[in-house]
Amino acid sequence: MARAREEAGDSQLVSGREPPSRVIRVSVKTPQDCQEFLLAENSSVRHFKKQISKRLHCDTDRLVLIFTGKILRDQDILSQRGIHDGATVHLVVRTRLKALASSATLPNASDHCTHRSEPSASEAAGMLARLGRLARTSPELADLFGQLAQLLMTAPESVVQFLEDPLIQGLASEKPAIASHVPEPSRPAQKHDLALRTLETLQKPARHQELLEASKQRLEALKAVPCGDNAMRPVSSDIQQLMLSTLALLIASKDYISGSDSCRGEANVPSYPDTTTTSAPARPVVQEVSVGAFTQGRGMTSNQASLGCKSGVPVLHSGQDLPSQDSQQPVEKASLTNQLRPLPSLLCQALHVLQQNPTLLHQLSSSPLRHHIPLLSILTNPRALQALIQIEQGLQILSREVPGLRPFLQDSARPRGARRVPESRAGRQGHREDPVHSTLAILQFLHELASACSQSTQSPLFSSFLTESRYQQELEQLKALGFANRSANLQALIATNGDIHAAIERLLGEPQA
Amino acid sequence: MEPPHLYPVKLYVYDLSKGLARRLSPIMLGKQLEGIWHTSIVVHKDEFFFGSGGISSCPPGGTLLGPPDSVVDVGSTEVTEEIFLEYLSSLGESLFRGEAYNLFEHNCNTFSNEVAQFLTGRKIPSYITDLPSEVLSTPFGQALRPLLDSIQIQPPGGNTVGRPNGQS
Repeated sequence: MARAREEAGDSQLVSGREPPSRVIRVSVKTPQDCQEFLLAENSSVRHFKKQISKRLHCDTDRLVLIFTGKILRDQDILSQRGIHDGATVHLVVRTRLKALASSATLPNASDHCTHRSEPSASEAAGMLARLGRLARTSPELADLFGQLAQLLMTAPESVVQFLEDPLIQGLASEKPAIASHVPEPSRPAQKHDLALRTLETLQKPARHQELLEASKQRLEALKAVPCGDNAMRPVSSDIQQLMLSTLALLIASKDYISGSDSCRGEANVPSYPDTTTTSAPARPVVQEVSVGAFTQGRGMTSNQASLGCKSGVPVLHSGQDLPSQDSQQPVEKASLTNQLRPLPSLLCQALHVLQQNPTLLHQLSSSPLRHHIPLLSILTNPRALQALIQIEQGLQILSREVPGLRPFLQDSARPRGARRVPESRAGRQGHREDPVHSTLAILQFLHELASACSQSTQSPLFSSFLTESRYQQELEQLKALGFANRSANLQALIATNGDIHAAIERLLGEPQA
Repeated sequence: MEPPHLYPVKLYVYDLSKGLARRLSPIMLGKQLEGIWHTSIVVHKDEFFFGSGGISSCPPGGTLLGPPDSVVDVGSTEVTEEIFLEYLSSLGESLFRGEAYNLFEHNCNTFSNEVAQFLTGRKIPSYITDLPSEVLSTPFGQALRPLLDSIQIQPPGGNTVGRPNGQS
């Protein structure tokens, strides 16, 4: 048998025509199915691929044949590669981007050739390749894209989806370049143009709306997918929402320039309700986006979006909520310009931080303070980050220890008096505003408790905790004097408002207390 | 032409019972089992495994199970990362969707075996793939089969490998 093969091989060399050789049966295994092919043992891989492409209706360029871990080259002979009768060869059908694929670092969108419905997959990959070239021209942008790329590596589908529509529109003039499939040599002028244009698109609020709308639709489509509620999906959608939120941040920031300009025209407006009046026009923009995001099923993802949206809004609120009665305008302006100026690098840092701390991402999305935070400045300041984490943990412990507080910390709160004017405004704009204000309300409440001598009976445990720490010194003294019953001491102190002598008399008068 | 780059392929083997199977199996099953094996394939510096959530990937040793109990060298492959990921996406749609998971017939080891053959042409050690039949050949296994059939294993810590358009 070996000799027959040898002879066949020899005669091929001698005569140059294809001599009769054994016909073997080779199985071709794809992820979908397994098919058998009958062909000559000494046929080339190219010939084999032609047969396969005929049967599967695919381009031979897209076929990748693998046998025992080795990729079969076109010029190989089957028998030389050890493929004999009954062998199984693995087949992968690629998307048609072999040339560009090498330059793009992100995984390509895979596509079975018979299911090829739209060219979006190839365009997306082409886009990625172009992003790579773009990144080389502008280092800051490069950083940003690098971070984006890394962060989204874990969810390749989000990459393609996210980049698909908006960037295709933004870089529309580049479309002819896609078709050529040639990795172009560097064209500095054009690339510079590209970089500028991308920056423009990143900064135009109008474009942003489109972008967010498109992304939102994509997300909705993603959620509606029938292929199962994957436990892993929240991770990818979290990251997507982070992207949306950072972009929404840009929108909010942009809008607030106009908001605060009108604000400056008025007289001193430090009071809470007035600022919300001026910021109201900008809020519908933000709210629209966040409302859009809210229509999605998952709580976490919508929280992320609103995190981004609200982070622009609460910057002003938090400025107002501080007990200081000064004019908040300079503060607002300063915070706005701070937010706006170093955008790409800040985004880089923020993404970097979030990338390194996926738990932080999770925490931020589930925390009750999420609406209250100027996300960007927190993330780029490590000390602020630490403080934030501590606050989060504190709030969680709080909600655990005092179950009565939990409704305030998580759900919508009921309006509570004159101070809640902004809350009614929030009520107008959707019930999701309430968690913001309820958190706000509870923080103010705590502040009141801490500063004033608490007579509030709303949460006796709270007041007791606070007063205990207030009366620490007195308690120590009472203990030193021999009053061992700490709770009695405390009650006495509370009753006498910290007057230690009166407390002692009280304790002596009521030995059982 | 230069020789193509070879990437090492490893099989990470985890004992889900953390040693309990070795101790209790003689009593419970009547035969000695060394462990309840969960496996994953590690290639291109990533770990790939199949669970009730579909095909997932993570950094090597990055699931909640921690580091593997043993590592088997499967061989080397020329298959590049790009081709491999396309292949996995394709698999994840057809043969290895999340709902196709079955503890006995179509589990993580089935997947590892499939991928190992694709990458290197070799199968994974038989003591791993024989485990379901070993268990089912005991009266205890047969008795518990309905219960065991419904168990789905999905080690947390990975991310799904899937299609971009979210089509099933």
